[in-house]
Amino acid sequence: MRCLRQLFLVSLGVTAWALHESDVGVVDWNTELIGVPLHGSPHTAPTFHGDYVLTATSNNVLAALNATDGSIVWRSIYDAEDPIMAFSHHDKSVSSLSGPGGSTLRTSLVLYSHIIADPSTMYVVGFAKSFASYTLHVTTLSVTTGKIIASVNIPANIKDERSKFVAVSSQTGPTTTACVNWLEGDVLKAAVLAPDLKGQIMALPGVKYDRISDFGLSTNGQFLAIKEGGAAHVMHFDAQASSLRPIWEFSLNRDGQPRVARVYWSNSHSKAIHQSLAIHLSEGKASASGFAFPFQTLDHGVIRHVAFDGSSTSETHENTRTLLTTTTGSIQLWQHDKMQWVREEALASIQVAEFVELPEKKVVMSHAAVDEEGYFERLQRQLSDAKNLPQYLANFARRFATGSYATATTSAAFSSDEDTLTRDAFGFRQIIVAATSYGKIFGIDSSNGRVLWSRVLGLGWAAKVGGTIIPTKIFVTRTVSDPEGPQIVLVTQRRADNSLVDTVLFHVNALTGDDVREEYQSIPRAALEGLDAVMGPLVDVFMLPNENRTIVMLDEYLQARLYPDTPLALAEFESFVPSIHLALRAEVPGQRQILGHQLALNLELSQFYVAYPTWTLSLPPEEEIRAIIPNTRGPVASIGKVLGNRMTLYKYLNPHLTLVLTSFLPSSTCGIYVLDVIKGSVIYHVSVPAAGGVCDTQATLTENWLVYHYFDDEFSGTGQSKGYRVVSVEFYEGDGPDDKTKSSELSSYSNKTLHISAYEQSFIMPHGITAISPTSTKFGVSTKDIIVANRKNSIQSIPRRLLNPRRPKHKPTSEEQEEMLVQYDAVLPDDARLVLSHNYEVANVRRIVTSPSLLESTSLVFVYGLDLFFTRIAPSGTFDVLSENFNKVQLVLTVAGLGIAIMVTKPMVRRKRLRERWYQ
Amino acid sequence: VLLFFSSVIFAVELHGYIQWNNLCPNYGALASAKVLLDAGKMSGRVTQNGNFSILDVPPGTYVLSVLSHDYSFDHVRIDVSSSEPLPEVRPYIFGTPLLATTSFSLPYPIVLTPRHKNRYFSPRESFNLLGMFQSPMMMIMALTGVLMLAMPYIIKQLDPETLDGLKGRQEKAASLENSIQSDDPRRLSALLSSGEETKASTPVVKSNTGPSTLQQRKGGKGNKRR
Repeated sequence: MRCLRQLFLVSLGVTAWALHESDVGVVDWNTELIGVPLHGSPHTAPTFHGDYVLTATSNNVLAALNATDGSIVWRSIYDAEDPIMAFSHHDKSVSSLSGPGGSTLRTSLVLYSHIIADPSTMYVVGFAKSFASYTLHVTTLSVTTGKIIASVNIPANIKDERSKFVAVSSQTGPTTTACVNWLEGDVLKAAVLAPDLKGQIMALPGVKYDRISDFGLSTNGQFLAIKEGGAAHVMHFDAQASSLRPIWEFSLNRDGQPRVARVYWSNSHSKAIHQSLAIHLSEGKASASGFAFPFQTLDHGVIRHVAFDGSSTSETHENTRTLLTTTTGSIQLWQHDKMQWVREEALASIQVAEFVELPEKKVVMSHAAVDEEGYFERLQRQLSDAKNLPQYLANFARRFATGSYATATTSAAFSSDEDTLTRDAFGFRQIIVAATSYGKIFGIDSSNGRVLWSRVLGLGWAAKVGGTIIPTKIFVTRTVSDPEGPQIVLVTQRRADNSLVDTVLFHVNALTGDDVREEYQSIPRAALEGLDAVMGPLVDVFMLPNENRTIVMLDEYLQARLYPDTPLALAEFESFVPSIHLALRAEVPGQRQILGHQLALNLELSQFYVAYPTWTLSLPPEEEIRAIIPNTRGPVASIGKVLGNRMTLYKYLNPHLTLVLTSFLPSSTCGIYVLDVIKGSVIYHVSVPAAGGVCDTQATLTENWLVYHYFDDEFSGTGQSKGYRVVSVEFYEGDGPDDKTKSSELSSYSNKTLHISAYEQSFIMPHGITAISPTSTKFGVSTKDIIVANRKNSIQSIPRRLLNPRRPKHKPTSEEQEEMLVQYDAVLPDDARLVLSHNYEVANVRRIVTSPSLLESTSLVFVYGLDLFFTRIAPSGTFDVLSENFNKVQLVLTVAGLGIAIMVTKPMVRRKRLRERWYQ
Repeated sequence: VLLFFSSVIFAVELHGYIQWNNLCPNYGALASAKVLLDAGKMSGRVTQNGNFSILDVPPGTYVLSVLSHDYSFDHVRIDVSSSEPLPEVRPYIFGTPLLATTSFSLPYPIVLTPRHKNRYFSPRESFNLLGMFQSPMMMIMALTGVLMLAMPYIIKQLDPETLDGLKGRQEKAASLENSIQSDDPRRLSALLSSGEETKASTPVVKSNTGPSTLQQRKGGKGNKRR
């Protein structure tokens, strides 16, 4: 028996929730994104290269898109500390230049900014600081080996950093020749680059230029030189002659004619106009042509960048391909006036996201007046209802025979054509409302990751001056159980370009994206118009747990502003005021404080409730507050943990716990505090080393359980080692088992709130993590696993059993075995079966959002960062549905076998009894 | 200027390569991978031919790890000292003290071998008729079924004397069972202590149980007829 139990324990410890290959794409989905293209510089902006579109993006990704269908051909993700400065392509290779100025300066004091590649050599050009001015520094690298061939300073005398230099290349046949051009004083100078970097500097005397610039044809050997009066020369670098001449003296090679194209928005046509100018240099004339295309500015904002596929242009424009980047972060490829594909890359920069439940499928009640109908009517109705009976019976028979029921691993997506937004049997299908920093809000179907609706967030009055909207928080103010249907309120900060910051609210129907505040729905839909709730920035925002779900916003003067601002909401708010306690950070220079606040009404000061400080927690000077993370509290199923010896450890369930993460760089430590918000007392505090002077601690607090993660670089002590640590801490009431202080109901001013005992254990992990979150279920009965996103770009779950801080250091005794404790092992197993994202690559994860489904056992997990990922997880196994191991065939066979056995033995028994009677 | 800098900051370049093996035969299988020192402040990417290099590593002791989505690699300890031109490479078993004294040196440039490929999926349990009958429970069930059917014939085959002996033993066992069920330790001990007494008591038991079962049977039949 004991042996068996141990076996059971081991098998449970390894994996409780195994993923099957057939579940891939059914229970989960993954959207790979690249981010919004960086269009500020021609060195990073999208360019066509054959059938590919190459671009560097604001998420620091270098990617190639298939221009035909918009799919990602490849992408290369760079570290945040290693921003992409430029990229250049040649035939089948793309070379990129990345890294901040600092890191490059450290080695060679050169700030590289340009890159040119040819099949064998790569030229990297940048500024180098000399005593009085800047000079140019060129390094050549071998493309095949990456070795540096040569590195020289070109004696240029560039006065200020702003004045650009232009690196151009020109292709003649198979060879590419590169040339660097710069202005020295007002004289244009040029140097032709060869791999060994030996050559002469040429000067173009006579003409005085003011500045030179690159206009996208640098690979063709052309750039713009602008004279003082504003007149410009298009310069061309001729590789064969190795000479630089104004282009009008030059006849073009067979590569084709240069075209200049522009796209602009025409208000009169309400369409975008594409115009291109073909220059026929040999004939000395130019011809302009254009067409209009129906760009949806209401859905996609304003066009920010246009890239042309030069090879596709022709006189008729039939195949002209244009790639647009818009302010809302979408990339669109238009062929003539048809949109081929669109990628919503704003989803790579989601700021806040929330799950919203869907309503149940409505059963159509067509017969309202059942009582008044006569006999024939009823018969008719019942007959008409019965017309579905054969179908139902067939379905039933099929279901009975094949045993296909809705299980925890069935797809939640609806296959039916009518795309009604209804939930599936277990509530796995929900809407994920996600707000991005590109001023667009999306409703995503959690069953397949499709975007159901999207709205542009309107700028309000700031539309005249321009601005950005930064989402702060989403609140679900109405759920499916409310008659109005699910609604959300998005709280944002609008940063206008004239430096004014306002707090703007958007109140949206979560199912359709319609504006709730709007009286009538305008068709076609315009941008969402927000409500300027507070003039000025926001300090804190929270939702009252009342019927109306009033949103309370604290403005910069700590005045409490309500939304909706109705007398009813105010009355409800007033009843809540005594129980509202807030922890706010005070950014006094040199002194960091966390201040506890309560609200009070003082009509002499303000007409609103104003927060006043009640306690102060002073941190050491220079200790920076990184984050204040509230306790993620779901429903608490049990208030204690029964031990093997029938004693009970009561959980410390203080509802006012808050987690504060700090960084204290002078001593290179990071602090983790658990505070009681009412009194400001520190329940738990630890400081962990900041490896390399960076605090990237991750922590989560749920119920009475704190899990944090950091890198420990202390290795000189005996038995110590560098590595990532995960520490699991649990708080229990009193001194130990059976000591009950009723912490969840205790007055916060009682002395007993600090009477706790903490159990903690530390584990080591092979790789770092970027986000951490506990699972959440409907009633909190299932165990809570911890879900982490690790730097290997995968999402992993860590079972609660492994993170239990009460794991015994010795072989578990029978009492401990009864509690299902397993022996402590410092190494958390790197089991690939705990990886939820399996083969998917989920890069640069910023946050993990979990939501309960209707099944108590199953929790929904949504992960965002660069990529989006969604899956389901059952931490305790799917105990509330028929187990997937349930073998219906076996059951049917056994029953049938027994039936046959009875049929066989029945005549035998009868004969035997008859014989008994005869011979007795 | 450069010379001045290099004299102040001593730093080395770490080089190494991935040893392709059957698990991971080429770059295509490995996909994008990165080699990290410690928490990743210094890192290098694995290139197409499996090489990697980490630039500007100041003196110190580091743990080198590989970030690969699908493959696991061993961790390696790297010691860079300003007195030695080449860094020292030592094996490091994850979870053990870093400064273990017994560790031997590995060759430089660093060679990293993929240890295993991640297997994310567990196979689904499929129905297997043979497997169903291979489970011990099913085997016991089948055996009892066969025995039940075969018992009358076996008994018929036996000669009357052994049958009597068997019956006696059966009855003894039955009475033992009865006494256990009736929770009478005194009788149980009596049963166990002397074989003679048991023999004497067995008829009593028999006479007690025999008619009652008969009656029950009769009653049962009567019920059926009614």
